[in-house]
Amino acid sequence: MLEIRGKFRKIALQVVVTIAVIPFLIPIYTMIARSLEGRGWSNYLQVLKVPGFGRFFLNSALIATGSITIVYLATMMAAYAFSKLRVRFKEVYFWMLMAALTLPEVVLIAPLYVTAVRTGMLGTYWAVILPVAALQIPFTTLIARSYVDGIPDALFEAARIDGANAWRVFWNILVPLAKPIAVALGVLVLINAWNSYLLPKMFLINDDMGTVTLLPEFFKRQYNDDTPKVLAAAVLTALPEVLAYILLQKQFERGMAAGALK
Amino acid sequence: MVRRVRTARPIPGGMRWLSPALILSVGLIYYCIFYSGYLSTFSWRGGRTPMKPVGLDNYVKALESPVFWQAIIHTLVFFVVVYTVQVLGGVAFSAAMHSGIKFATLYKVIIFTPVVIAPAIMAPAHIQVWSSGGTVNAILDRLGLASLAQSWIGQSSTSLMVVTAVQCWGAVGFGFLLYHAAMGQIDNDILEAARLDGAGNIRTLFSVILPNVRGTTVSLGILNFITALKLFDNPWLLTQGGPAHSSEFLGTMIYSEVAGQSRNIGYASALSMILLVIAIVISVVMSVWGRERPPRAPSRRQAKRAERKVLTSKATERHRPPALAANKGGDA
Repeated sequence: MLEIRGKFRKIALQVVVTIAVIPFLIPIYTMIARSLEGRGWSNYLQVLKVPGFGRFFLNSALIATGSITIVYLATMMAAYAFSKLRVRFKEVYFWMLMAALTLPEVVLIAPLYVTAVRTGMLGTYWAVILPVAALQIPFTTLIARSYVDGIPDALFEAARIDGANAWRVFWNILVPLAKPIAVALGVLVLINAWNSYLLPKMFLINDDMGTVTLLPEFFKRQYNDDTPKVLAAAVLTALPEVLAYILLQKQFERGMAAGALK
Repeated sequence: MVRRVRTARPIPGGMRWLSPALILSVGLIYYCIFYSGYLSTFSWRGGRTPMKPVGLDNYVKALESPVFWQAIIHTLVFFVVVYTVQVLGGVAFSAAMHSGIKFATLYKVIIFTPVVIAPAIMAPAHIQVWSSGGTVNAILDRLGLASLAQSWIGQSSTSLMVVTAVQCWGAVGFGFLLYHAAMGQIDNDILEAARLDGAGNIRTLFSVILPNVRGTTVSLGILNFITALKLFDNPWLLTQGGPAHSSEFLGTMIYSEVAGQSRNIGYASALSMILLVIAIVISVVMSVWGRERPPRAPSRRQAKRAERKVLTSKATERHRPPALAANKGGDA
């Protein structure tokens, strides 16, 4: 891109970039350093021993799995219909879906809260999974449709001529061929579901239903602002996410980038 | 007689396939919006308390409330600062990393990790960084600037700055990712041609690279605006909108009205409707503005390459939504 000639300039650029990334490390450094204050690593042991610690991860995994499954099925089916099937007023439905793209989730919490209370969904996982999924579907459908548009119609016709019904065509042609985009979108939904804070805070009112994003508050109550332990808990909570990112860099980056390619 | 080969028509019966997405997404979202509009005409504390119809009073109350206007100003300041930092940081880092720097992957992981970790999980660490006995003050002390040390989070003059800085921490990596991908698609021939014409690095950056990544800059603008409008996580976790509403945003206002002590669901709904209208108007305006001056038409070769590389970006031309949109991934 830029042309950096000469050894001195190359070193200078390297030094500048190194200094520029330091601010990104400061909070992480602080988190780790202060989590070891007091009794060192035994802070971590004590956090791990707190009953119900694993439960938060389980809950987050449950919500992420639920959202991903629902979004995946709804998206792929919709992409199939929008791209390859005959539907009356297809584009009208598409635009209705697309109008929901910009919707900020805070707009939903007042009506959702009232509805959840009235239908008895308050304090169930559905109260989080359904809105999380509903908010992702417009976007994932947009991306998946344009991907499926790129798969030649001839493949679908050939399968039809061979006597496959719509279901078989869906499972044997569309699903395998759309795998790359499904992985990217899956990662995007995973990150959004795992990191969601407002909806779980609003709707998962029992402690044993809390997600990982509610862990810091749980530990603050538990330890009465014993900072090292609160931070040790934060490190342990962030760790799986950071590891997952480092191991799956490509998928994470594609998933996040999909979020803006429009 | 030549029998015409029947061109296969799309398979009928697609509505069945469409219905899960439509029912869940369109159903839930539109239901919520209409319900919110209905609720906004009441004064209601929720639960079994009586719902008092008040007409448009909640909207009047919002527009007359100084806290509301403060939140709007905070949103604008926040948007301008975060967007600027994200664009400058994103462009600088990705240009540097496209220029044959060593350890590029390491740098990339360092600036992208903040994008991945949930704000809620990092919040305790950020609080330690900015608290009066925290890292920032320690660094100032080390640099001999101890007189500048202060209680960054706890005072109303700096609380908004802390929220903004923390958001920038996570936003630069996101900008970097998008610019890095966009710059990777610029044809090397163009860059070489510029260089042969005698353009230096700065000139190349402004005359070749930036015009070619204009689409990314526009998308980031829309994403950031929506992020600023719906902001809840960081201000709530760091300052709870305080002290004295000095870091209040629409998101924290709505949340306090739904879940706080002195709640008013009607007022929260009215605020939500106002927020929604702003979001729609702004994203339509911005996507129209973004299309006015399209980036230079790519060469055929470049177009081919781009097509091969990015399957997803086709979405832009084919099904551009009314409000070229922001996604929830844009929390960054």
